[in-house]
Parts: sequence; structure tokens; C-alpha cells
Amino acid sequence: MRIAFAGNPNSGKTTMFNALTGRNEKVGNWAGVTVGRNEGPFKAEYGAENIAVDLPGAYSMSPFTPEEGITSSYIRDEHPDAIINIVDATNLSRSLFFTTQLLELGIPVVVALNKSDINDKENTKIDAEKLSTKLGCPVIKTVSTDDKNNGLADVAAAAISLMGKGQKAPYLQADIDLHDKAAVDAEDRKRYAFVNQIVKDVESREVKSSDTTVQDKIDNIVTNKFAGIIIFAAVMWAVFSISQTYVGPWVADYLVGWIESFKEWVAGQLENSPAILSALLADGIVGGVGAVVGFLPLVMVMYFLIALLEDCGYMARASVVLDPLFKRVGLSGKSVIPVVIGTGCGIPAIMACRTIRDERERRATAMLATFIPCGAKMPVIALFAGAFFAGAGWVTTLMYAMGLALILLGALLVSAVTGHKFRRSFFIIDLPKYKWPSLKRAFWSMMERAKAYIIKASTIILVCNCVVQIMQTFNWHFQVVEEGMESTSILATIASPFAVLMIPLGFGAWQLAAAAITGFIAKENVVGTIAVVFAITNFIDVDELAMTGGANAVAATMGLTSVTALAYLAFNLFTPPCFAAIGAMRSEMNHRGWLWSAIGLQFSTGYTVAFLIYQFGTLFTEGHFGTAFIPGLIAEAAMVLAIVLISKKIRADFDKKYELHNNVQAA
Amino acid sequence: MEQIMRLNEVMAGETHLVQDVKTDDEEMRAFLFRLGCYEGEPITLISKRKSGCVVAIKDGRYSLDNYLAEAIVV
Amino acid sequence: MKTVIALIILVAILSVVISYLVREKRKGVQCVGCPHAAQCAKKSCCSGSSCCH
Repeated sequence: MRIAFAGNPNSGKTTMFNALTGRNEKVGNWAGVTVGRNEGPFKAEYGAENIAVDLPGAYSMSPFTPEEGITSSYIRDEHPDAIINIVDATNLSRSLFFTTQLLELGIPVVVALNKSDINDKENTKIDAEKLSTKLGCPVIKTVSTDDKNNGLADVAAAAISLMGKGQKAPYLQADIDLHDKAAVDAEDRKRYAFVNQIVKDVESREVKSSDTTVQDKIDNIVTNKFAGIIIFAAVMWAVFSISQTYVGPWVADYLVGWIESFKEWVAGQLENSPAILSALLADGIVGGVGAVVGFLPLVMVMYFLIALLEDCGYMARASVVLDPLFKRVGLSGKSVIPVVIGTGCGIPAIMACRTIRDERERRATAMLATFIPCGAKMPVIALFAGAFFAGAGWVTTLMYAMGLALILLGALLVSAVTGHKFRRSFFIIDLPKYKWPSLKRAFWSMMERAKAYIIKASTIILVCNCVVQIMQTFNWHFQVVEEGMESTSILATIASPFAVLMIPLGFGAWQLAAAAITGFIAKENVVGTIAVVFAITNFIDVDELAMTGGANAVAATMGLTSVTALAYLAFNLFTPPCFAAIGAMRSEMNHRGWLWSAIGLQFSTGYTVAFLIYQFGTLFTEGHFGTAFIPGLIAEAAMVLAIVLISKKIRADFDKKYELHNNVQAA
Repeated sequence: MEQIMRLNEVMAGETHLVQDVKTDDEEMRAFLFRLGCYEGEPITLISKRKSGCVVAIKDGRYSLDNYLAEAIVV
Repeated sequence: MKTVIALIILVAILSVVISYLVREKRKGVQCVGCPHAAQCAKKSCCSGSSCCH
């Protein structure tokens, strides 16, 4: 038996879904978090034989409403046995429109008046019984964010008990021609009139929503053109520096120290065994995976802070502040939320692009969103910041700022290539009420991501590290490679051709090329592979390394200078993130041309940025261009040529489509 | 005769009744309607910015950009 | 002796991990361990205004 959760966006459906099923699907305090449907059985105490189906939010099921396709088609095509209509009790007058439509379907509906705690605080009273009588269905007050008195058990019980019974509609839409826009409009207005009447009867407010409140005053400051952007930058800077410079490394220090000793113990135990065994177990598994896991505290703190940020309601305001900036490059504020989500993980960021109405903007945002460094890229940034720049905070800030700059520049490029767009897109966003973020929920969100990180580390990264270790230890005749003969190993011979391409970028060593390549499977692999290939595990406490190996042993081992390190970092950050992200892009683009352009754009960007940093950095610090400047320039020229050709083709296609008189003579 | 104004000409704090949504963009009109912004319904301008404004429609707060604010006639 | 134990541990780790990965790939999960994997796996593209072509 399936029970669907339907309602306006940001009404609390997914929170309720999580509470009733024990799942931990993504929630956020803004409209448009859930983009696909989530299914799962109810928890045992609510009736585990029934399946809950969480749907994206919708404002209505009328025709001519394109963005609510999933919800509408699910309810109509897959006939759930009951519907729990989660209604934002603070906005009854808007929510009931959809409710009355749901009630016409003949499927039993239970209305959950969610966020009733906010109503209690503001002294907004809703007569649930009266409403229930008027609608002809149960109406139960709920607070899905509360753990105890939340009304959820009643809702679940009511829904289950009504399954199979029909539903009488309090309002029936007249039989009209659904293709006639004017007729649909007129009917919708009648429906609204009906709803308005109900609301007048059952609701009484103390605070009128048209009154200006403290929250509005805060909004004035936060969305102000200048203060707003500064506040946004400050908020993001705080999130990253707390996780990367202060709290994160402090915890990570202990963790990495412990992992390091464990690795030495394992190596010690296997002193008398074949070297390959020691290499695999100590360096490959403990060392490689350990290096990645060492960054876990940094990543966890960041996810915790991002969860707090997403919960308090600030995200919508951030979109408003950045909307003017994004409009200048052909996007809009709608693209801001995917970018902020991207600081966590690129895949949900790409999926969040579904809420962008305009096709070109949606595709552009999907392919640019991954320029903002994600959680998996953080260990890479932290590694290089720590090894080459003494853990300075400016490295991280620079990478995120560059990410944002590349998104904006990339948007301009997409606009230029696809030709001038004449349709202006509008930007409107629901501003939810601010609330104190739930520490508990942020904690669980963090633990969920931590679990994912550990699973990823102990599976994919572990396997990759083993493979890399084996490829590094043996040459093509499966003999163990002698010391000093590393370049004959399998790994070296495979990576060397790619390394040649990277010479103009300053890091033509095969080890680095290998690390970058493994980075496409998972960005954390860059750290893992470097750890394996250079036999280093402790990237956090570089001072200790300096004591044993002299100033900046890590840097020396890798053969990189500050400039080349920065270039290498940029390369790894701004090329396609991982195959999973490419897969997500494939689903979103739904178009081979756009997908390959996206991949091409990302490769070119990473290459170009690294090229510029290396060449001009070397020019600046040493007074001359780096190696292979000309070949690199040729590669860049080739990229520019490709872009120009693509642009010409797009314009030619456009012309062909709309041209009128081809080969026709004038009379 | 009542003065016809666009939303972005209204003073902050004022409530007016929507008279029309002047736009060729059907999606915009439909979306505004679903939020409760259509002929005869009250809309309150909470605050104004250079690039848009914040309004209250049916107990909800929304941020509109100028493109929308100029299209709504009150 | 230690070599044998180490070898057994190594094989055990690798077989558990690889079988886990194979199972996940069969389920269609693209990004192992990712909490959003369920939404990724299905080709559910329809929610934006331009639905699946």
C-alpha cells in the first residue's frame, strides 16, 4: 500500500518522510530541495507494510504548470492508496488551493497542518475541526521537526485507516475544456474564491502577514546590494575557515597521528615478508586510505556548518543578493542555490538545477556548478595548503573565489557561444521564515556524510590505492621494480604520455599525472595516490615532517614549487570532478552536444587555469616563462578554435531553422 | 479615476489590489497566479531594493526582481 | 607465519570490498556511499519545464 506525501514546496514533506520512515533524505529550508521522488517503508511502529512516497513540492495540478510534472503525473498515473497532504499552516490561504485539487481525485486525503508550532508562537489560530468538516477529510496539527509531540502517529494512522475508501470533494471543478487557457483561468479563480472563504472562516491571526516584522528588517540588511554581498562572503569564509583552519585540523591531528603509528606497526610486523605485501597493506591500504580518512574531520565540520546554513533559511536570501550579479552573466538567482549546494557535493548540486525553468540557464548552471570546490576536493586543497603554504587560509579562499569567478566567466562564455538570448527570465523566490537551525539535524546530516565518506574511502579509494600500489611496484614483466628504476613501473609507463601533456602546466612528473587521473574516479584519490606514490601519509602535521626531512620535505618529495603546486591544485579542482558528476550531468543535459561541451569546457578550464598560473607565476617569481610555453600556447589556441567553431555551428543551425528565403528569387 | 501604478512604483508598507499582470510570458503569469497574485487579490510591498522588492502575498513572503515588479499593475 | 596472516587479511579485505562494490553497481548506484545515490540511479529527469526529449 502506498501513501504519497504531497504539498507546497518547503512545507515539511521530506522532514515528515524522514521521521516516519527513519530515512535521512536531504532537507533544506527553501523551496526546491526535493527534486526526485523518494520511497521507503514506514517505520515498524507506524505500519511497516506500507510504503511512503515523498514527492517534490507543487503549488497546483492545473494544466500549464510545467514544473510540477513529477508530482502531478505520479498522483494521476500511479494511484497511491492514500495521500498525506502536508500543508504549511502558516500559509493556509495559498496551500489549500492544491489541497482542494487533491481532494477531487477520489483518493483518501489526510491533511497535516504542519509548522503548527510557528502558528502557536505567532498566535495564529486555525480551527482544525471546522476545517476538517469543510474539507471532508481528517485535519491533524503536526510539528514534524519536533521529536515527541508531533502528531505524526495520528497522521499515519489516519492515512492507513482510510486506505481503500474513496474521498468526497468539497469543491468540484466544472467540466471545462482543459485546453482553453481562459476557461482554466476562470475555474482556478473560482477555486481560489472558495478557498478564501474557508480560510476566513477557520483562521484568525494576531500578526497580519502584511505587517513588517523583525525578520523583514533583517532581510533588508541581508539583501542589501553592498552589505548583502559582504555578509555572504563573510558567511562562506567562516564556514571554510572554521572547518579547514581551526576546528578541523585540530581534530585531524590526533586522527592522523594514530593512523601513522598504525601504519608503522603494520609495516614492522611485515618486515620479514615479501615487500609487496608490506607495500599493499601498510602503504597502500593503511597509508593511502589513512591519508584520505585523515581529512575526515575537516570534511565533517564543513558539512555540519553547511547543514546549519541550509536550515536557518539564509539560502533564499543569498540567492536574492547574488541575483543581480548572476543576471549580468546570463543566469539568475535561481542558479545560486545549486552553487552553494555544490560546496557540499556536486551531484545534488547538478540535480538541484532542475528547478531552473529556462533550458539554457539550467544546462549552463549544471555544467558550471562543479567549479565550486566540493567536499571531496577539500582534502586536496587542505593537502596543498598544508604542504606548500603552511596551512594558510588564503589558499582555500582563493580556490573558492576562483571557482565562483570561473562560474561567472563560464556563464558569459555559454551565452556568447549559444548566441544572444532574447527571452528574459524572471526571478522570484519564496522567502521562508528564519529559524534557529537544528543542531541535532545538522549533526545527523554530518554523520550521514561522514558515513558516506568512510564507505567511499574504504571501498573505491582502497581498491584504487591497491591497484596503484601494484602498478607502481611491478614493471611489465611482473618483476619488482628496483629502487631508482621507478620509471619502468607499469604506472609510470601508463602515466608518462599524459604527463607530457602536462609539462606546459608545470607538473610533468608521471606520479602527479597518475594522481590526477585517479582523481577522476574520486577526487579524494588524488590524496590517496600521492600518499601511495610518494609514501607519505601525514599531510596534516607538516611541521613534524619538516623536522625529519628538513624544510618542507613533502614539497621536496613531490618535486613541486609553490607556483607549480598552485597550478596542480587548480588543475585538479577545475577539471571534471568525478565520473559520478559526469553521470549526473548526463541525466540533466539530456543532450549529447551539451554533455560533451560540458566535459570539454571543464577540461579546457582546468588546463587553461593551470597553464596561466604556472606560466605567469613563474614569470612573476623567476622572471621568465616556464617550460613548454609555446606548446602550451598552441594547445590553448586549439581550444579557442574549437569554441569558435562550435559557436559558428550553433549559429548556423539557428539560421537554418529560422531562415525564410533560401534559394528563392525575388519576384 | 484610480491611479494606475506598477508595483515598483508603490511605497514600502502599502497594500494594494492587483489589477493586472502585464506580460507576454504566460509562465510568469501562471506562476504568480499559483502564489495568489491575480486580479482582485491584495499584495503588500514590504521593502524595495535597487534590483527588486520583497512582497507579501497571501501570508507568504517573496522576493521579486524588477522584471516582475514592473509587470504587476496595482 | 605473519606473512600468511597478512595475506589472509589482505584477501579478506579485498574480497569484501569488491563484492560490496559489485553489489552496488548491480543495484545501479553510480556514486558508492553517496546518500543521494537513490535519486541518481533512476533516470528520473522530469521536473523542470523541459521534460525528457
